[in-house]
Amino acid sequence: MTKLHRAARLLALSSTVLLGLGAGAKAATPRDALVMAWNLDALITFDPAQIGEVNGNDIVGNVCSSLVRFDPKDVSKILPSAAESWAVSQDGLTLTFTLRPDLKFPGGRTATAADVVWSMHRFVLLGFGNAANLTQWGFTKEGIAEQIKADGDRHVVIKLAKPYPVDLILSAAFANNDASMILDKEIGEKNAKVVDGKSDYANAFFKTGPACVGPYRVTKWDSNDVVILERNDNYWGDKPKTRRVIVRHVPESGAERLLLEQGDIDVARLLKTEDLTAMAANKDINIVQTQMHGFTYLVFNGTDPILSNPRVREAFRYLIDYDALGRTVLQYQGVPRASLVPEGAFGALDKKEGQPFSLDLAKAKALITEAGYPDGFTKKMILSANNISPTIAQHVASNAAKIGIKLELEQMADAQLFTRGRAREFQVQLVGWGAGYPDADSMISRHAVNPDNRVEAKLAQYPSWRAAWQSAEINEKAEAARMERDVGKRTAMYHEIQDYMMHNGPMAYMFQTVRAIAVRSSVKNFEISPFGVDYGSASK
Amino acid sequence: MLIAILKRAGSIAATLLGLLALTFFMGRMLPVDPVVSIIGEQADQATYDMVFHQLGRDKPLITQFYLFVRDMLHADFGNALFTGHRVADDLAKVFPATIELATFAIIIGVVVGVPLGMLAAVYRGSAIDHVARVVGLLGYSSPTFWLGLMGLIIFYAALGVVGGPGRLDVSYIDMVEPHTGLLLVDSLIDGEYEVFWNAWRHIVLPGTILGYGSMAYISRLTRSFMLEQLRQEYIIAARAKGLSKMRVIWRHAFGNIAVQLVTVIALAYAFLLEGAVLTETVFAWPGFGRYLTSGLLAGDMNAVLACVLIVGVIFIGLNLLADILYRVMDPRTK
Amino acid sequence: MSGTVSFRDWLTAETTSSPRQASFQRLYFGWLRLRANPLTLLGLGIICALVVIAIAAPLIAPGGFDDQSLDARLLPPSGAHWLGTDDLGRDIFARLVYGSRTTLYIATLVAVIAAPIGLLVGTTAGYFGGWVDGALMRINDIFLSFPGLILALGFVAALGPGLRNAIIAVALTAWPPIARLARAETLTIRKADYIAAVRIQGASSFRIITRHIMPMCLPSVIVRITLNMAGIILTAAGLGFLGLGAQPPAPEWGAMLSTGRSHLTGAWWLATAPGVAILVTSLAFNLLGDGLRDVLDPRAE
Repeated sequence: MTKLHRAARLLALSSTVLLGLGAGAKAATPRDALVMAWNLDALITFDPAQIGEVNGNDIVGNVCSSLVRFDPKDVSKILPSAAESWAVSQDGLTLTFTLRPDLKFPGGRTATAADVVWSMHRFVLLGFGNAANLTQWGFTKEGIAEQIKADGDRHVVIKLAKPYPVDLILSAAFANNDASMILDKEIGEKNAKVVDGKSDYANAFFKTGPACVGPYRVTKWDSNDVVILERNDNYWGDKPKTRRVIVRHVPESGAERLLLEQGDIDVARLLKTEDLTAMAANKDINIVQTQMHGFTYLVFNGTDPILSNPRVREAFRYLIDYDALGRTVLQYQGVPRASLVPEGAFGALDKKEGQPFSLDLAKAKALITEAGYPDGFTKKMILSANNISPTIAQHVASNAAKIGIKLELEQMADAQLFTRGRAREFQVQLVGWGAGYPDADSMISRHAVNPDNRVEAKLAQYPSWRAAWQSAEINEKAEAARMERDVGKRTAMYHEIQDYMMHNGPMAYMFQTVRAIAVRSSVKNFEISPFGVDYGSASK
Repeated sequence: MLIAILKRAGSIAATLLGLLALTFFMGRMLPVDPVVSIIGEQADQATYDMVFHQLGRDKPLITQFYLFVRDMLHADFGNALFTGHRVADDLAKVFPATIELATFAIIIGVVVGVPLGMLAAVYRGSAIDHVARVVGLLGYSSPTFWLGLMGLIIFYAALGVVGGPGRLDVSYIDMVEPHTGLLLVDSLIDGEYEVFWNAWRHIVLPGTILGYGSMAYISRLTRSFMLEQLRQEYIIAARAKGLSKMRVIWRHAFGNIAVQLVTVIALAYAFLLEGAVLTETVFAWPGFGRYLTSGLLAGDMNAVLACVLIVGVIFIGLNLLADILYRVMDPRTK
Repeated sequence: MSGTVSFRDWLTAETTSSPRQASFQRLYFGWLRLRANPLTLLGLGIICALVVIAIAAPLIAPGGFDDQSLDARLLPPSGAHWLGTDDLGRDIFARLVYGSRTTLYIATLVAVIAAPIGLLVGTTAGYFGGWVDGALMRINDIFLSFPGLILALGFVAALGPGLRNAIIAVALTAWPPIARLARAETLTIRKADYIAAVRIQGASSFRIITRHIMPMCLPSVIVRITLNMAGIILTAAGLGFLGLGAQPPAPEWGAMLSTGRSHLTGAWWLATAPGVAILVTSLAFNLLGDGLRDVLDPRAE
């Protein structure tokens, strides 16, 4: 048996060596680089004209400057950016931007009005989902050449279809991350390809990294692995503090947390509540947070005979323990809010008015009884298998069961959830939405307004259409508010719409999204706002 | 002979085509619309129609399948919708990552598993047999994703003896040329020993955990092959002739099971190449399994079909090997 | 059975007087050998315990599996909650106990679906050979060459998530290895003299396959399916882990593990309990399968 013992010992020894060899010094991130971990699953392009998800927006916001930007301290205000100033004509139909003289592309060429015009034209002409940022304000593929023009090297002249309130149009069409980003026209024209007989305006080329006047440029992108940004030394604004930004794909909250604790990354973008709570207690780590302009909400399908009843929908609003969820499951992830306009946007109801509901089973029971369903009913609810959706859904289902409503849950991948939603193939859907710009108009124009409720209209970009909900009155009021140039009146009109939607609308908004990011305390000035993160201001 | 080879080639082609057809139509059954994956959730119908057309989804299904197979024959996998890159480029990145991990794991599996199985067979019924059995069965029975999480907490977070999720610490990214895509090899080629060391720290944990599973599989089969050999008359005869036990075991019995073992190891390797989805997720390993899963959940059939084709080719190749060996070994199947 | 001979004697008699006695004897001696291996008994014991737990779940579990309380969430194991509570304040022990039902349900149904299909396909292919074999084995290859979890994932995504569809999907991944095994067994016995004898007597192919070949393949198939049970449970848990198995609030172990994943560092008990449960159950099936193989597989003697 000695041979046996020796063999067994050898086995044990060799496995120890194998692991032991792995021992080494504790890592730290390079001093001149900011290292972030994030889930980059959704990232498919860096072309501003095509970006439709949060990763791309966030990164490109640090690669491309746009004409104007949101004040990170109060996003309902607009600040100059690549345009040093702007002016509106008396009739409110002409908007003129004056560019800074020192805009330079990474290659050294000075950016001119021609570059701005080319970039904005392609934004509309390419016709991706993003184009709606401009087309919903009357810019069209056919008319864009006349609507956006250069006047000399430093002036961009915009012809508006209607005299919209200037703050609204600046916020929605120009500060909103992508529409007015300045790309290099020369590089773009050189690399444009013809697809199906039409130019792609260098979409394929810019996809992996646009040539822009922003603080950084993309130097490496391996899908689902890593994105590396290098400082643009020709940047017009404050020189970014760190030379490189490395964004690493780490799709697990737990893994990100471990990396952060070990000092292998500086910033963890994806942490979930429990990990954030733990990080809050760690003195080497700070938590930076802000309220995003997005929601988690329930959608009720109006083609369903029971769910089309407004009292039934209102009952659901009393089935959620907002406070308890807010301080437990959703801590660092959401704050209770029932109004469809996010707090912080222009025209929003204040915190209290915007959240009049609380858990009240008796009230909910009374409402479904009034609607004619005292014994409840059974409905299917679809939701994402990711993140906290299953937890929220089970909470709602559990409370619903107490008043006789049986909610059968069905989890699925996000892509599938969206497909079902867009096709109206659901009864109740638990889903999220992010507003495009910090003005009540952003949410109301998509969630309350529904221009055409017919199935064949296929207005899937309108959640209101997905819910098969339409109100001619709301359509009119929203349009009137959009054209109202008096700030006070416009605010009052939005308040009225919000009140109505809170009790009669097709959605039950539950939580306004919170973004909480854990940052190692060695990183100074890591600042976030609801519409972007400024990588360049952070230093180590 | 020629006819047999042709028949075999024909059946391989049929299997691959069947595999693609199954995947393709399964993909079309998925209630996931790849168009929505591309244009985003908030886009309007005009954008939808445009991309729908670009993807050729307005053509009849059979035409789409035909076009796809034709492109495949030209080694053109098209673009992956969910990453925005060409599928071929993506695969060139994710496949080496998986190969590196799988190779690491299979080496552990073989180096530990084969001797363990041999010992268990030779000392059948002894303590080592029972230990080997339990150790092996535990490896067989563990949810690897759970082991991975536990391993991360203990060895990375608490003890700090291994690297965290990912293939490298960020400071080492991009320091070596991708000659082979295998970091352990590339770093040696470039003489970057620090990078090698870092890559090693990162691969040890996932590699060992995956290797544990293969070890369980290999040791069990080694044991049962070995037991069968030890019962054979020639072994008993050899022993009777007075040859030493070790000599009989290694020269005679092991020689006879080597062929079977190679097959088993090859299959275990194939399984590692395709089956590490959950481990790759836990360790943020940018590999093949995760690529395939993300592609599937995004309804991206270009990526999925290319992956399935590769897996199919690997599998069929190994199967062919197994079949040939089987025919050579067992006269009863003739 | 004669009144003067005890049952035990009947079972151990050296000469058997009926085929029934012979098969009972085989079973009995098998049981003796099975009993001789403590690990096998352990496996069997765990599975039996699991069955009892599943049946008596309401008696064993302290309360229901969906009794939520946000004020009592993420509590560590204690006297009141033996295994702690989860992120909705539900008792993990109760969920684990009820979850055994789901796990056994999946395992049993998959076995019941996959074994006959595999057996039928394998024996048919092996017995007929030629183009039937070619066609069936190509189909088999197609399914085999798919990574199991991916195949299951694809089908669940296509059919819609849920327990029933998860079972169908897992069964789809479970039959091909059985078919291969049954085919290999059939190949080695189809030329046997007794099969030829039966054929000369004029038995139909169907009869030969079902009466004479299948029973011969059955032992190894049972061994294989028992050994594969661990894989089946892990695949089902993997589906649950990815959110596509049994739907919440059903207490499926894989799904519980998935929830626990986000609480690993802060509330280790969330992932530990279901992780250990999965491990122990699949280990039990493996131990039993291993023992069964020693007993049932004639070549392992």
